[in-house]
Amino acid sequence: MPLTPSAGVFFGSSTGGLLETERYYEQLVQPGGRARRGWLASHHLSAPAESIARATGLTGPVETISSACASATLAIAQARDAVAAGEVAVAIAGGADCLATITYTGFNSLRAVDESPCRPFRVSRAGLSLGEGAGVLVLEREDDVLARGATPLMIVHGGGSSCDAGHMTAPHAEGMWAANAITAALGQSGLDADAVTYVNAHGTGTPLNDAAEQATLQRVFGGRAADLPVEATKAVLGHLLGAAGAVEAVAVALALSEGVLHPAPAAEEEDVLAVDLVRGAPRRVPELDTAVSISLGFGGANAALVLGRWHA
Amino acid sequence: MSVRPTESVVVTGIGVIAGPHVGVDAVREAMGASTAATTLVEQGKGLHVPGASQRAVLCAGIDWPALVPPGVARRMSVPSRFAVAAARLARRDALLPADPEGERTAVVMSTAFGPVESSEQILDTVMTDGPQVASPFVFAESVANAAAGQVAIDTGSRGPNITVIQREAGSLTAVRRGVALVASGAADRVLAGVVDHASPVLHAVLGRFDALARPEADGAEVARPFDRDRSGFLLGEGACVVVLERESGARARGAPIRARVAGGGGAFDPTAPRVGWGHGDGPMADAIARSLDDAGVPVDAVPRIVSGASGAVDGDRLEGRVLRRLWGSRPLPTVLAPKAQFGQFGGGFLAASLLAVAGGRFAPTPGFRTEDPDVAVCPYEGGALGAAARVLSLTLASGGSAAWLLLELL
Repeated sequence: MPLTPSAGVFFGSSTGGLLETERYYEQLVQPGGRARRGWLASHHLSAPAESIARATGLTGPVETISSACASATLAIAQARDAVAAGEVAVAIAGGADCLATITYTGFNSLRAVDESPCRPFRVSRAGLSLGEGAGVLVLEREDDVLARGATPLMIVHGGGSSCDAGHMTAPHAEGMWAANAITAALGQSGLDADAVTYVNAHGTGTPLNDAAEQATLQRVFGGRAADLPVEATKAVLGHLLGAAGAVEAVAVALALSEGVLHPAPAAEEEDVLAVDLVRGAPRRVPELDTAVSISLGFGGANAALVLGRWHA
Repeated sequence: MSVRPTESVVVTGIGVIAGPHVGVDAVREAMGASTAATTLVEQGKGLHVPGASQRAVLCAGIDWPALVPPGVARRMSVPSRFAVAAARLARRDALLPADPEGERTAVVMSTAFGPVESSEQILDTVMTDGPQVASPFVFAESVANAAAGQVAIDTGSRGPNITVIQREAGSLTAVRRGVALVASGAADRVLAGVVDHASPVLHAVLGRFDALARPEADGAEVARPFDRDRSGFLLGEGACVVVLERESGARARGAPIRARVAGGGGAFDPTAPRVGWGHGDGPMADAIARSLDDAGVPVDAVPRIVSGASGAVDGDRLEGRVLRRLWGSRPLPTVLAPKAQFGQFGGGFLAASLLAVAGGRFAPTPGFRTEDPDVAVCPYEGGALGAAARVLSLTLASGGSAAWLLLELL
C-alpha cells in the first residue's frame, strides 16, 4: 500500500528508548564519564513513532501519546479521529514499549509485581507480570479499503477517555471515571451498552485494578456485567505498559474475525471476581460482534475503544 | 496535514512560567528585553565538558510557595510543580471560578524530556543501594504524564487526560489536540500546554551532543536564531498552560479572548536523522500551504510569524527554508524568534506565540547580527508592533516532526 503525504503515525509509548538511556547514564556517571552517544539517539518517547515514519517515508503528522499504560489505546482513538476527520487517509497506530530497570524497579517499589505469573480477576491475584512488545494497526476509511480491494479486519467504532483526578497510581475504587471513558467511547460509536458482546479488560492482576475494573463494568453494563465474557490478555502476554492497548486491540481483531476468545490460564473451579472471565480453554462465541477494550494508567488516565466485527 | 476546527475555539487564559519570568505580564516584558535571563547550571555531578554551555534560562528566584502551596507540591516532581503552577495561573487569567473543573474539562500536556530528574534519582538509587529501596513516590512522578495527572488532580479535571510527545513540536501539537477535543464535543474546556525541566544532567548531556550555544570569547552564551554565527540553543525550562473553550461559551461567561485557533497541522520529514534535522523543506512547506488553504487563508494574509528557530545550526536552516518556500518570491512578514529570550523548551515559545497576536513592544531579536545567506531570514529588528490579524506559529523538531498553529485576532 503506498503511503501518501496524507498518512500519519499515532503511537503510544511510555518508555521509548529508556533501556538505552539507562545504559548511557550508567556509563556517563562512571569516573571518566565517557558514554556511547548512539545509546541516547533513541531516548525520546517519540522515537518509536519517528522510526516508523522514517522507515516508511511518510510525511504526514507523527504524534506520540505517553499517558502511561493508557498510551496505545489513546493513540488508536486519536488515529481513528484523524482518519474520520480527514486529517489523514491512512493512520499507522499502536504502541511499543521496552522493559527497563526503572520500570521494573518502580513497579516493584509499589509492590505491584507478582513473583508468579499474574492472575487477573482471580481472588488470589497478587500483582502484575511486566512485559514488553509492540502492536500496530493500520486505520483507513472503510470505502478506501474496499476501493483498493482489501478486506477490513475490524471496525474502530469510537474511543473515549477520562481521568480519575484522584491519585497518581491507584484507580478510583468504584470505577466512576473509568466508566465515563467507556460511556464516551460508546457515545462516539453511536452504540448502546447493550450492543457490547464482550470486554477485553485492562486486567493487570493487581488487587486494586481488577476490583476497580469490575466495579467499572458493573457501572456501565449493570446486570449484564457478570455475564459479559471478559478476556484478560495480560494473563498470557504480560503487561506491555504503553503498548498494551495496541496488542490487546490486535487480540480483539483476532477474536472478532474468528469468533473465538482467548483464555486466561486458570482453572474453572478457581474463585474469580464477579465477571465471566474466559479461562482454561478458548471460547467460541458465535454472536461476537462488538467489543470494549479498556486501558487504565498512572495519573488516573482511563481510555476505552469500541471495536466491531466487519460485516461484508 | 491540517486540522481545521469545525467550531470556533478560543484561548481565554494563559499561565506561563518561562525561566524566571512568571505570568503573562512578565513574559511580555521579557519579549522586549535584548538578552535572555540565563543562570549558571549546577554542575555538582561533574558531567559538563569543558568548552560547552554552562548556563540556561532557569526558573530561578521564583516564589514557589506563592504559586503552589508546599502542602500541594510536596510529592510533585519539578515539572509537575511547574505545570500545576502554570495551570493555576491560566485559570486565573481566564477568570475561571475557583471551583473544581469537573468531567467536561480535559488536560492535554506535552513534554520533550519528561521528569528526567526522577528517572535519574531512581537509577542513582539502583546503582548505589540496589533496586529494593527505590521510592514509589519518585517512580509515580517519573512517568511522562505525571504533570498532566497532577494538573488534573489539582484542578479536578476529569475529562480526557492526554500527554503528547513530539520533542520541540509538542507544545503546538498539544494545543491542536486540545482544540480538537473542544470542537468534537469531547470536552467543553481544555487545559493544554507544555512543560519541561532543564535538569543539570540534561543540560550536560545536551552540551555533549553539541546542541547548546557555545560560550563565546567574552564568556557570553547567546542563542542566535537565524544568525550566520549561531552555534546552538539556550536550554530553557518552565511551563505554559492555556485555557481553550468554545467561542460561544467564552463570550457567554464574559471571558477575555486572547486569540482564536483558526487552524494548524503537523508533518514529518523522513530525511531527518534520529538526532538532528533533515532537508525536507519542500514537503513541509507544502503541508503548511495546504493547511492554510484549508483554513481559507492565503499566505499573504499572514502578517506575522512566530518561529521556533532557536539558534540550532541545522534546525534554523531548515525552518528558514520552509518559510522561504512558503512565501516564494514575496517578502516574509515580521518574524519573531522568542526562543532567543526564553530558550528551547519550557513555556516561553507557546506563550509568546499567543501574545504576539495582540502585539506589543519587542526587542531586536537577541543574538541576531548577521544574516545567514543559507537561511535568508532576518528576524524582527525590534520596536512596537500592533495587533496582528493572524499569526502563524511554527516549530520544527529534531528527529523530523513539525507542528504549526494559525492564530487569529478576534
